[in-house]
Amino acid sequence: MIEVKDITKKFGRKKVLDGVSFTANKGEITCLIGINGVGKTTILNAIMNLTPTNSGEILIDGEKIHRETYEKITFIPDAITMLPQMRITDAMQFMKDFYHSWNQNRADELISFFKLDPNDRISSLSKGNTAKVNMLLGLALDVDYLLMDEPFSGIDIFSREQIADVFTSHLVEGRGVIITTHEISDIEHLIDKAVLLNDGVVLREFNAEEVRENEGKSIIDVMREVYQA
Amino acid sequence: MNIKINSRDPVYIQVIQYFKEQIATGVLEPGQEISSRRELANKLKINPNTAQRAYKEMEEQGLIFTEGNLPSRITKNEVIIKQVREELILEAVNTFIASVQSINVPLEEAIGLIKKNYEKNPGGQEGNQ
Repeated sequence: MIEVKDITKKFGRKKVLDGVSFTANKGEITCLIGINGVGKTTILNAIMNLTPTNSGEILIDGEKIHRETYEKITFIPDAITMLPQMRITDAMQFMKDFYHSWNQNRADELISFFKLDPNDRISSLSKGNTAKVNMLLGLALDVDYLLMDEPFSGIDIFSREQIADVFTSHLVEGRGVIITTHEISDIEHLIDKAVLLNDGVVLREFNAEEVRENEGKSIIDVMREVYQA
Repeated sequence: MNIKINSRDPVYIQVIQYFKEQIATGVLEPGQEISSRRELANKLKINPNTAQRAYKEMEEQGLIFTEGNLPSRITKNEVIIKQVREELILEAVNTFIASVQSINVPLEEAIGLIKKNYEKNPGGQEGNQ
């Protein structure tokens, strides 16, 4: 389980996170929802310890993040971090050199799942295929937790569907996923838990199926209540 | 698989409802093997934990059964299959009654209209989700 406990973060005088708390379980898909600028990416960066927080605590399976943690949690940023002149196969080699948890079999499987050509250069890929390579580099790690920042934004519907298919496959099964989005409709039926954010605070954290069952509401209904109240 | 998942009802209940309809109409036959949980999640684009929950619930209701590590199958229990069919019919009738009562249609008139229109509408699949 990933536990985010009352974290605050300031950029200069601006408070970006103002006491954010939530949990994300292994084997579940947790979705951080909010418009641009509410601090979603900052939260993911904080979990990965890529940015210091001003207060609060983040625990991964009960421990603070340390060197070995990076073998069991990974971050898929919203833009690919590989050099443009690299071929997909170079990018995979790069990941393999860095991480023990790199699983080449799974990487090969993802190559065919996404119908990619490993000899293509990153710079020559369409936006949709770049997003798929970006996903591949994270998904091919044998990690317990995956953080994904806006994996659906700015790509065509078929690529979005292909990426959404990953969530119902064994490629994600059993792992804990935290995904951020400002567009819920692609994944409304895929997520276990929704965390609604605004202005650096959590407005509501709920299990999607429970809200449907107990209140007869969709995730979007709850968002409307929370954001337009 | 033509099932349209709506976003307000619990997804696992919609999945169970879908299976009940398939069982009642005989599309899924007694003892027939069904998709694995993951295959179902993938086909319907739903959360695998939800598919798992739907199967668990159906198992408890006796709609499906699983032997050891084999794929789950539709029940062979005819009493249960008959109950499912009756349950679906009753549900549909109750919905119908509620909607005609809300616009004050007398029973005789409703029955007349049913008889008149029943044959005209052979598809039967419409609005069936």
